[in-house]
Amino acid sequence: MSDDYNILTTRGLTMQFGGVTAVDNVDFNLREGELRCLLGPNGAGKSTFFKCLTGQLTPTKGTVTFAGQEITGALTHKIVNLGVGIKTQVPNVFDGVSAYENVRLSARRKHLAPLARELTHATLERCGITHLAKREVGLLSHGQRQLVELAMVLAGEPKLILLDEPAAGMTGDERDRLAQLVLESARSAAVVVVEHDMAFIRQIAKFVTVFNRGAIFREAMIEDIMQDREVQEIYLGKQANAA
Amino acid sequence: MEKSVIRDPGFYVMVGIGLAVMFIAPVMLDLFTIMQFTQYVVLSVFALSLGYIWGFGGILSFGQAAFFGLGAYTFAVASINMGSTTIPMVLAFIIPTIFGAALGYFMFYGRLSDVYLGVVTLVVALIFWKLINHTAGPEYSIGKARLGGFNGIPSIPTLHIPGDTGAWLDPAQMFQVFMAILIIIYIALRFLIASDFGRVSIGIRENETRASLLGYDVRLQKVIVFAIGGGIAGLAGAMWATYQSFIDPNSVSMEMSAKALVWVMAGGVGTLAGPIIGCILLQWLTLKLGTVDVVNSIAVLGAIMMVLVLALPKGIVPTAKMLAMNGWTLWNRRPNRDAVTRKAVKHE
Ligand SMILES: Nc1ncnc2c1ncn2[C@@H]1O[C@H](COP(=O)(O)OP(=O)(O)OP(=O)(O)O)[C@@H](O)[C@H]1O
Ligand SMILES: [Mg+2]
Repeated sequence: MSDDYNILTTRGLTMQFGGVTAVDNVDFNLREGELRCLLGPNGAGKSTFFKCLTGQLTPTKGTVTFAGQEITGALTHKIVNLGVGIKTQVPNVFDGVSAYENVRLSARRKHLAPLARELTHATLERCGITHLAKREVGLLSHGQRQLVELAMVLAGEPKLILLDEPAAGMTGDERDRLAQLVLESARSAAVVVVEHDMAFIRQIAKFVTVFNRGAIFREAMIEDIMQDREVQEIYLGKQANAA
Repeated sequence: MEKSVIRDPGFYVMVGIGLAVMFIAPVMLDLFTIMQFTQYVVLSVFALSLGYIWGFGGILSFGQAAFFGLGAYTFAVASINMGSTTIPMVLAFIIPTIFGAALGYFMFYGRLSDVYLGVVTLVVALIFWKLINHTAGPEYSIGKARLGGFNGIPSIPTLHIPGDTGAWLDPAQMFQVFMAILIIIYIALRFLIASDFGRVSIGIRENETRASLLGYDVRLQKVIVFAIGGGIAGLAGAMWATYQSFIDPNSVSMEMSAKALVWVMAGGVGTLAGPIIGCILLQWLTLKLGTVDVVNSIAVLGAIMMVLVLALPKGIVPTAKMLAMNGWTLWNRRPNRDAVTRKAVKHE
């Protein structure tokens, strides 16, 4: 596979915290417009991997290339302005202001005020949260906050969308809406989704990458991953340890 | 929350009160009271400078007096040398703004954490204070102006009408000019805060990570906010210098920085009316307590401050707003309930 078609490539990406290697020598390739699911037990390094991609952490080693440009260790806002949008695991939203203003601040980054307003309304509608527009985000439920954050990401019109556990805290309806949105977004952007919720994964997954202990453990189609003994074991093993 | 300024009744109330005081006070009150009021107006501008950067930029400066003092000394030195006060007034805004931008650049581009930011601003104010205290000798002069060290700079010119250095303002006129400055700064800040620039600042205050994840340069934004705050504090310093016609290192002291923090905290962080009201109320209290010799005014003020923080943790203005809103909803509910009962009666 030639790198020309890749929107995102990492080579030997490594992130160490003291003695802990949270991301271990990861070579990751994502094609333009691809929808990828990233699985792995708790502590596998998925969120840390996302943070290295978005400049929230500076990797210890390795490189990140986005749309043909090396962005390793670049400043977050510069990476974002190249076209990366991320929904973080713990929602990062502007609690004290309305949902509308949250999304508008995202839309306003690229567009003049009138267009930003239109885009905000359209995005709120698309995410099914028009009725929450005037509500203060700090007072919303976890699932609703997730949707607001997702709307913020989409309003930025990124070329690469990173979603870290977007379905957490959502009701069944909200989750179905989310799956719809993810599939829809994948038509105009590359998407990477980290999720533990298997019902949700089944709705959206095709090609899957499994992380374990910071490294890529398996890459295969979802059907094969579901049947994979060793994948089941790392999940079960972790759960057994946790219990 | 994000309603536009022109639709906020509070904005008109504030500007209305300001204009009324500006025009009525000189007619109604004696000279001494007017001069007392002038002092409140100057310090309110200083309070606004901190209220803005803290409440709307999330920048907590423990050394805001550094800018106040810089503005005061800039004005003193420039006006003594130039014999005019117009350009020195402008310089007293511009130079602290530039200094704020430079210091802000170092702090925010250096990714200083909030705690270190507090320490750095505090230390900068302390250094200023030390430096100025050491300039007592005659060798420390800039042009015609001797810095005077701890003795301060006397005979600072009184404000005059721009272009006419002979037309000094009398105390009542100076009061009105200062009121006008306060009102203009209040209005300008309200519009700045409601602008897209201001909303991004509020976003940064709410969640810095998200602001940068949306592609905003948090560092640049903070430098600008900090510099604007510095400029306003500097302007207040210049007003202070010309009002007293004297300035000494007390204007850069820890006490001056601390007072601003207390005013903003008491009045309410995240409002502009709060810092003004907090400043006037606490200055007035200090004055009243100062006349009672039995108790130590600083200690009593400290006690009042603690009671305020415990009883009204959000500050005076936000608490008053909340009470007013609750009262309003209660008031509105009554007729509604009556309407419902009336309907019920009709059905029977
Ligand atoms: N800032 C940090 N300092 C030290 N260790 C960290 C830090 N962030 C993450 N880690 C460690 O790195 C490892 C990977 O964490 P990470 O959050 O990336 O896992 P994850 O795959 O996202 O897990 P989860 O599914 O629970 O979200 C964990 O062992 C974690 O304790
Ligand atoms: Mg995680």
